Amino acid sequence: MKMDKTDAWLTTSQNEPRGYIQPQTLEELWFHTGTNCNLRCPFCLEGSKPGDNRIEFLTLDDARRFIDEALELGVKKFSFTGGEPFVNPEFVAILEAALDHRPCLVLTNATEPLMNQMADVLRLRDKPHALKFRVSLDHPDPAKHDESRGKGNFKKALDTLGRLHQAGFGVSIARLMLSGEDSSAVDQSYVPFFRIAGVPDDITIIKFPEFHLPGSFHEVPEITETCMTRYLNAEQRAGFMCNFSKMIVRKNGQCGVYACTLVDDVNGYDLGPTLKAAMEKRVMLGHHRCYSCFACGASCSERA
Amino acid sequence: MPALKVHNIVFRHDDLFELQLERSDVSFEPGACMALFNEDGDSRPYSISAGTQENVLRFLVRRVPNGRVSDWLALRKPGDTVEASDPFGWFRPGRSAPAGERCVFIATGTGVAPFLSHLRSNPFKPPEMCLYGIRRLADAFALEELECLSGFRLAVSKTSGHGHFHGRVTDLCEQIPLGEDIHYYLCGLDTMIEETSQWLEASGIDYTHIHREIFFYEDGQD
Ligand SMILES: Cc1cc2nc3c(=O)[nH]c(=O)nc-3n(C[C@H](O)[C@H](O)[C@H](O)COP(=O)(O)OP(=O)(O)OC[C@H]3O[C@@H](n4cnc5c(N)ncnc54)[C@H](O)[C@@H]3O)c2cc1C
Ligand code: SF4
Repeated sequence: MKMDKTDAWLTTSQNEPRGYIQPQTLEELWFHTGTNCNLRCPFCLEGSKPGDNRIEFLTLDDARRFIDEALELGVKKFSFTGGEPFVNPEFVAILEAALDHRPCLVLTNATEPLMNQMADVLRLRDKPHALKFRVSLDHPDPAKHDESRGKGNFKKALDTLGRLHQAGFGVSIARLMLSGEDSSAVDQSYVPFFRIAGVPDDITIIKFPEFHLPGSFHEVPEITETCMTRYLNAEQRAGFMCNFSKMIVRKNGQCGVYACTLVDDVNGYDLGPTLKAAMEKRVMLGHHRCYSCFACGASCSERA
Repeated sequence: MPALKVHNIVFRHDDLFELQLERSDVSFEPGACMALFNEDGDSRPYSISAGTQENVLRFLVRRVPNGRVSDWLALRKPGDTVEASDPFGWFRPGRSAPAGERCVFIATGTGVAPFLSHLRSNPFKPPEMCLYGIRRLADAFALEELECLSGFRLAVSKTSGHGHFHGRVTDLCEQIPLGEDIHYYLCGLDTMIEETSQWLEASGIDYTHIHREIFFYEDGQD
């Protein structure tokens, strides 16, 4: 589907008004640090790999500008995703700037780029706001995790998770959600590993469904305005990430404000160069990943 | 993304070569790598072994049988072009040295590349010790340069001979100087890095002083 601001943006293929979210608040601002990653996981929803620059490295100057604007809009938290954020050469400096103002969350594969910068990361404990890490541990079976992330990477990620926790940072993990799984049983099978790492048994586990590669097209049911009111209540609609968050993405030397963390591969979701302009725009739920939010309540956020 | 011209390709033997790319206006810090792309768009990171003042970019590449990128690189000829990312990386041998801290380098195989880049860029900041492990003497890169270092030790695992230790580099662990002010940089094979890190931590070295970069895995998977 061509998601530019034409009829296809506003209506479904059956010509019904497309479901949408009218953003209400900016609770959380996400920054995309760039699609350069030390790993090249075949399922990566960002299509990240070594040297990739579909999304360029966020710079400290970019980050400062949007941190200031977000503060004016009452933001409560800054979050960072990649690629692997610690591959970005300015990332620690960006985190330092953000932690002066608000708590931060970093999504990381917790391998060499972070491991080699632990001394700098430990210094961030002295900042006025808390820093939390979400480490990817795709499967509770190390061999399965390593099958796509590369040999030895489950152990590295688990060791780093433990070290971050012992250093006093908040930690959670992200895992893949398989269709038909017994979710609480899968969550439970992480516990022996948590104990090895010395983290509490009950740390938050964020589950992600299969999101498919960027730019790919997936046949999913279309979301109409009627779906949004018939199947969801106001609280569920308010829980959509695009209602309370935005993401900064740098492409071709310029930053744009995207509707959420999942749709940066379609230019229609670039809502403008400033947060103020972006907050006024309706987000039409036409990306195949919007259906995951609609059907499973998928969200990258960890709201209190 | 720059497309860089192949300046030269120099084989040490069939499975090991130095790829030289024209520098163009690429700037980098010692220890940085660049992702090199094959014609299908697959990319792999390779560490620059050249000094920051040289006008070619050097890469030491081990050709992996059927490896998508290394095998393709091995077939390049002078004048061909190779797509490359801008330099990036998180492994910076000797970065702590300006603060007056000491460092130890431990490499296996092509893992010597980031250390050569440091030594060629900062010849006046040598490491306290440099251990280099290879399988055969024919696998050695830049021995003449490395042998000028006072703390250099070469370990050759498969063949014995004069002037070097016969065995694995990890057999030399007991000789590694230990100190709170020393940073340890380990690069190359996973098993060397795992064993050496464990040994260093067991010897009381803080994990934030152990810097690691895995290029290859013992069982051939990378
Ligand atoms: C930061 C960094 C810097 C590096 N620098 C250098 C360098 O300076 N010099 C250098 O030579 N290398 C370096 N490497 C390694 C390099 O990036 C490549 O991994 C290497 O060249 C192999 O890539 P390839 O495409 O040729 O092989 P691939 O096509 O990736 O395959 C590698 C081999 O492993 C096997 N294999 C792949 N996946 C599996 C699996 N799941 N199970 C079992 N076997 C498998 C394949 O059959 C093949 O034989 C570096 C790596 C990193 C992370
Ligand atoms: S580590 Fe994360 S960002 Fe990097 S390739 Fe894997 S899934 Fe993508």
